[in-house]
Amino acid sequence: MTDKRNNPKAWLYLLPAVILLLIFSFYPLINTFRMAFLNGYNGLAIIGGEKFTFGVENFRTVINNVDFKLYLRNTVLLCVLTVPISTVLALLIAVALNSIKPLQKVFQTVFFLPYVTNSIAIGMVFNAMFTQVGVGDLVQTYGIINNIIGLFGAEPINFVNTGSSWGANMFVVCTYIVWHALPFKILVLLGGLQNVNKQYYEAAKIDATSKTRTFFRITVPLVSPMLAYVVITSFIGGFKEYSSIVGIFGESMGPAGSSGQMNTIVGYVYNMLPKSNLGNASAASLILFGIILVVTAINGYVSKKKVHY
Amino acid sequence: MKKVLAIVLAVACLLPCLLPCLLLAGCGGQKEGIEVVFYHTMGANLRAVLQKYIAEFNKVHPEITIVESSIGGYDDVRDQVITELQSGKQPALAYCYPDHVATYLRSRKVVDLNTYINDPDVGLTAEQIADFIPGYYEEGTLFGDTSKMYTLPFSKSTEVMYYNKTFFEANGLSVPDHWFSTGAGDTTSMEYVVSRIKEIEPTSIPLGYDSEANWFITMTEQLKTPYTAAVDTVEERFLFDNDQNYEFCSKIREWYQKGWMTTQAIYKGYTSGLFTNTKPNEEGKVIHSYISIGSSAGATYQCPAANDDGTYSFEVGIAEIPQADASNKKVISQGPSVCMLQQKNKAVNDAAWLFLKYLLTSPEFEAEFSMTSGYVPVLRSTFSLDAYKEFLSGANYDKTGIAALSAKICMEQENSYFTSPAFVGSSDARDQVGELLVAFISAPADSTESSLKQLFKDAYNRCVSLNK
Amino acid sequence: MAAAVKNAKAIDIASSRRAQTASNAVRLTVTYVFLFVMAVIVIFPFYWMVISSLKTFDEYRENVPTLWPRTIVFENFGTAFEKASLVDLFLHTLYVGVVSTVLSLIVTVLSAFAFSRLEFKGKNALFGLLMATMMVPGELYTITNYLTVAGKLPFFDEAVSWLDITNTFAVLIVPMLVSVYYIYLLRQTFLQIPNELYLAAKVDGTSDFKYLWKVMLPLSVSTVITITILKMMGAWNSYIWPRLVANDDAHKLITNGLRGASFVTETNETNYPAQMAAVFIVSIPLFLVFVFLRKYIMRGVSRSGIKG
Repeated sequence: MTDKRNNPKAWLYLLPAVILLLIFSFYPLINTFRMAFLNGYNGLAIIGGEKFTFGVENFRTVINNVDFKLYLRNTVLLCVLTVPISTVLALLIAVALNSIKPLQKVFQTVFFLPYVTNSIAIGMVFNAMFTQVGVGDLVQTYGIINNIIGLFGAEPINFVNTGSSWGANMFVVCTYIVWHALPFKILVLLGGLQNVNKQYYEAAKIDATSKTRTFFRITVPLVSPMLAYVVITSFIGGFKEYSSIVGIFGESMGPAGSSGQMNTIVGYVYNMLPKSNLGNASAASLILFGIILVVTAINGYVSKKKVHY
Repeated sequence: MKKVLAIVLAVACLLPCLLPCLLLAGCGGQKEGIEVVFYHTMGANLRAVLQKYIAEFNKVHPEITIVESSIGGYDDVRDQVITELQSGKQPALAYCYPDHVATYLRSRKVVDLNTYINDPDVGLTAEQIADFIPGYYEEGTLFGDTSKMYTLPFSKSTEVMYYNKTFFEANGLSVPDHWFSTGAGDTTSMEYVVSRIKEIEPTSIPLGYDSEANWFITMTEQLKTPYTAAVDTVEERFLFDNDQNYEFCSKIREWYQKGWMTTQAIYKGYTSGLFTNTKPNEEGKVIHSYISIGSSAGATYQCPAANDDGTYSFEVGIAEIPQADASNKKVISQGPSVCMLQQKNKAVNDAAWLFLKYLLTSPEFEAEFSMTSGYVPVLRSTFSLDAYKEFLSGANYDKTGIAALSAKICMEQENSYFTSPAFVGSSDARDQVGELLVAFISAPADSTESSLKQLFKDAYNRCVSLNK
Repeated sequence: MAAAVKNAKAIDIASSRRAQTASNAVRLTVTYVFLFVMAVIVIFPFYWMVISSLKTFDEYRENVPTLWPRTIVFENFGTAFEKASLVDLFLHTLYVGVVSTVLSLIVTVLSAFAFSRLEFKGKNALFGLLMATMMVPGELYTITNYLTVAGKLPFFDEAVSWLDITNTFAVLIVPMLVSVYYIYLLRQTFLQIPNELYLAAKVDGTSDFKYLWKVMLPLSVSTVITITILKMMGAWNSYIWPRLVANDDAHKLITNGLRGASFVTETNETNYPAQMAAVFIVSIPLFLVFVFLRKYIMRGVSRSGIKG
């Protein structure tokens, strides 16, 4: 296919990227490994002249943390639940957007707007939507979502307040993540769709292929490189979920009374930073790194078989 | 053509961004005089006050440049300082809370202020030290070794009790001064008062408490029960899992179950908002609280909005928070202190000390800062300044005077202030007991004693787990 | 192509039945309703940002948020301008945004080209390594990178002062230039372009660079625009890194300036209405750029005729 000879000129193209990556990505990565294997490594203690021994103590501490299993479960579930939903939704929106003529520009602009919305605003909205203000039967507001549910006669649900269940919290966080992820995915997939040659569709029209068939046989394969990209990167991002949970629950990472209920491995890493416990933070990062590596390898293997270039 | 244009563009863009970096790198740190960096969290109004006093300071010490920088919140300052400590670029002065300093201490870069305070030339005089309100001043020594002083108080606040004076007077209620009822006829206990309010108005939540963590910690201080200790062994630092604490939590749980009280985290809205609420909810009821315990610095939020004709829907009274033991009065001390971090050039530390001393021994600065912020001064002499007296004389039960009123109450309790021991992980203890109290009081009504006790154990295990 | 469309239409009409037209109408309605609902959901935070900027602080602080401001006030915009030096912040951000976008695009395009079209030893290994760097939580990078730009190198006890580039624009731009996400995204687009074009160009003796510039880039314009938008937004929203490395007034960026203490009331509460007003003001130019660039995203369509 491609020019099979080894082309040393390629390195010239890569030179700027490689130099910068060496300094600002590979070196920090190596440093993370180093810190993870120095027992009890602390960034401040090192300044204070303390010395650390080599070992796996940090990993032991992380795994023995009373809540580690919960964090791991949250991390995996958030990723597994949100990636498919947001990807499918984004694909549907992108295809729908691409298929209409009138109002297309208006809709496109609307779907772009989230980009110019500051993330603080998104957190504020979620509070207004899901938060009930009040206790027991003395409630000031049940939140917008419960008001809507109430229109259909259903009892209000405790989404994020004290005593709310893990499942309800999970639902809210997943909604937030899907919502947050949509605009980016729509943009990328729409970009991919715009690159698809219209002639394929015309051929399909002539053959009177059904729309569903067209979608699965033409649209999906043609945007498959973009889909692969979106899926792989959002799996990587999904495992590193943190800010969405902070956006809803604040740094307590859970409803009052059960803080940490929604915490993730990255959340644990952040918990370690205020004390500069870089050893534990690095060890937790590497555990996560291992998980993501395996999942990405599987993703890559699947997409190699399925993606059409 | 396009290609040429692109290259020209790229170079044009590159140059200005690289040039200043090269230039700066060449002459970095060559400025004349001494530069003292001060990290804080002040908003624009407070910064203006600070800048005014920096200008005054520079009249005496023109060779010292004070670079004050507002970093964000307290935690942001902490994170920034921790990171900068690792590269040796830490500021000379920083706003701090005790547990921040406990963390910084591992770097051995926190300056023991006693070396300056006791210096015969630039140190503090006995009168200057005595001018500090003792409870605030002693905070600086609570880091395990009392011979070392790591912080100086900057501005302080505590918790006070706001109550609906109009309602209290109309119903003949007395202002509670202790928590739990000592028996029939005890009409000044919080327990009695909230039960009465609930009887009078069933659709109210009589008491709103801002901070669960403060409540728990204050109770342990008032009852003299174990909370934490600054010791070496991680397992022995967290002492809050005991029967006495279980007991007071159980009482508060009863109150909660009877609908007598709520906290900010449980209510999910500002308790001050609950206190001043005049708007009906979605079912048309107006839900109030009649007592609100919160920061003295937030006094203006505890005052209802003025009606169109300038009147208020009710008058706000302020009192000390209830106590458990009249002979052992305790209220929590909050608000920032300042710590000094070691610089490469010792002259910078010396200059930082001069500035710190100038600022914190100046009652005028404290007065102005306090009047702008709602925090209370840390110097006694501030209270005898005319300007401050005038401010206090404006104390009133409305939006303009309530801050002064709250400052007055704070001043009256100056002997009751406490601070918990600070160590690495003390903020974990604080977070966990706050969570514990919420979980404990809101646990389902049919919870068994062992499941409630388990909550204490969980909180303890988390604290230990986070500090291994 | 136009002829083909006409032809197709003719056949379409010829074979059309009324049922099909009806189902088309249903499909179209469903499409519009779906898009409308999703649009409402997606736009809600933006709407919230706008109405929050028009509320009074007291109204914002109420326990029941109002969906429409009871009293509309514009004073928040005044506060925004007064409290934060918006113009300075904006210019800094614009500068960093434009420079880093341009440079980043150059680096990204070159790397993506190498990864998609050129063969060299260690290509897959290097690409795998690149992907690996995305998998570690960024905060640990931040700490190490901070030490690097502050001149604190490994094995040195003291920071090397002439390597200290904190508080410059360079430190806001250079460490962020390479984004593996964007290289990967563009590589995917490049891979979609039929290889025959490249081989044909080779036969013609066209240089790699010329081919990249004349063929690959025009065909990938929508992806390039996507990257541009994302990169610009990155400059607009970046917070942690700028605060750490360039927090002085001469280099402060927008989010940093807005989130800082400028909008904190004296009791340390964030004045959200004023903050939202400021955020809204600084979003406007970005929004305009957006509306403008949308045309270019669409342009990808007309050029795709080259393919197939």
